[in-house]
Amino acid sequence: MTRGAVATAFVALLCAPALLIAQAKNGVPRTSDGKPDLTGVWQGGSTTPGNWEDANGGTGVGGTGKNPSAPVVLSSNDRPAGREGAPYQDWAAKKVLESYNKRGIDDPTAQCLPGGLPRSVTLGLFPQQFIQTPTQIVMLYEYMNVSRVIRINDKHRDELVPTYMGDSVGRWDGDTLVVDVAGFNDKTWLAGTGTFHSDELHLTERFTRISKDRINYEVVMDDPKVLTKPWKLTSSLMLREGTQLQEYICAENNLDPARYEKLIKDGVKFER
Amino acid sequence: MAIARALLLIALMHHSFGAEYDANKPITLTGTVTNIEWTNPHSHFYLDVKDEKGNIVNWKLEGYPPGVLYRTGWKRTETMKVGDVVTVFAWRARDGGNWAHSREVTFKDGKKLFFGPPAGTGDGGSQPAVEAK
Repeated sequence: MTRGAVATAFVALLCAPALLIAQAKNGVPRTSDGKPDLTGVWQGGSTTPGNWEDANGGTGVGGTGKNPSAPVVLSSNDRPAGREGAPYQDWAAKKVLESYNKRGIDDPTAQCLPGGLPRSVTLGLFPQQFIQTPTQIVMLYEYMNVSRVIRINDKHRDELVPTYMGDSVGRWDGDTLVVDVAGFNDKTWLAGTGTFHSDELHLTERFTRISKDRINYEVVMDDPKVLTKPWKLTSSLMLREGTQLQEYICAENNLDPARYEKLIKDGVKFER
Repeated sequence: MAIARALLLIALMHHSFGAEYDANKPITLTGTVTNIEWTNPHSHFYLDVKDEKGNIVNWKLEGYPPGVLYRTGWKRTETMKVGDVVTVFAWRARDGGNWAHSREVTFKDGKKLFFGPPAGTGDGGSQPAVEAK
């Protein structure tokens, strides 16, 4: 070995730990191209670290376990406390209220239709799985068995056929994955009972993995046909190591539409 | 605050609890399991329960989908079988029929597991997503 090669090897040895530390900053794993790796199974709407059982155990999903009659964790159909109302135009706000007063029996998912976005991301009862490559990020949602493929550094297709999950293209803004979603139909809810939208819905999502355990999620919803201004929500996704997605075929035994029809026909009151 | 905010975004059942069931009508039933349906979007089990007149009445209890039951600790072929005697805490259907939304099942050995989420989920909560005008 020449003296130069020895010196190079020595410098490399000195640098290696620094490089490793850089890669492990905040425990965020990185892909070979240096991007934060979002690959994993995640639970939306939670800030509790740990595997699924530890994070949700004792309480069951959606409850405290102490008083089974007390709803403690609200659903994505519920309005988060302390937030401003969603900025719907007056006519549209009336429509949202109508759904609320009917206790959401007109929820598209009661017909087994896809949850859409951002609802599929923010819900916590079902896990979601991300698989990342340099050119595509695949997001699989157990809820309603739907998925989307985010094309990195690509443009939306020229002619967008309206769909439930839209067309997603992404780019990296530093360590944040920014996803632009367009091409929606008008058959899903955004976040909360009755939060309908038009086919002009446009989302800008930001996924930032801030630690091994957590992705911060921010979404700006723009829909000039029904909103007065863009509506921004923030949430988080927690890593659930060891969790596997299950099959969820909603149409298997969906009794809800027939029940709702009967309730309405029977004049059952839904007062709160 | 951030934690509370994130927790509030957790979503539960895919449909409205409040439309079908009445959170003001809790009920605790003890009986013999006659059937279990591990189906999506919701699972059900059926319980033969003796009413106050001594007649056997078959109750239908709704709960989580199978994937959620697995993650809540249920094992399809082991945890609860036809013929087992269990106690279930639930909320009655609005139409007054013999069906209810199950929450906690207590087994003979005292072990407890949730078969469904709490009352009041999926129906929009205490406030709508928009300001009421």
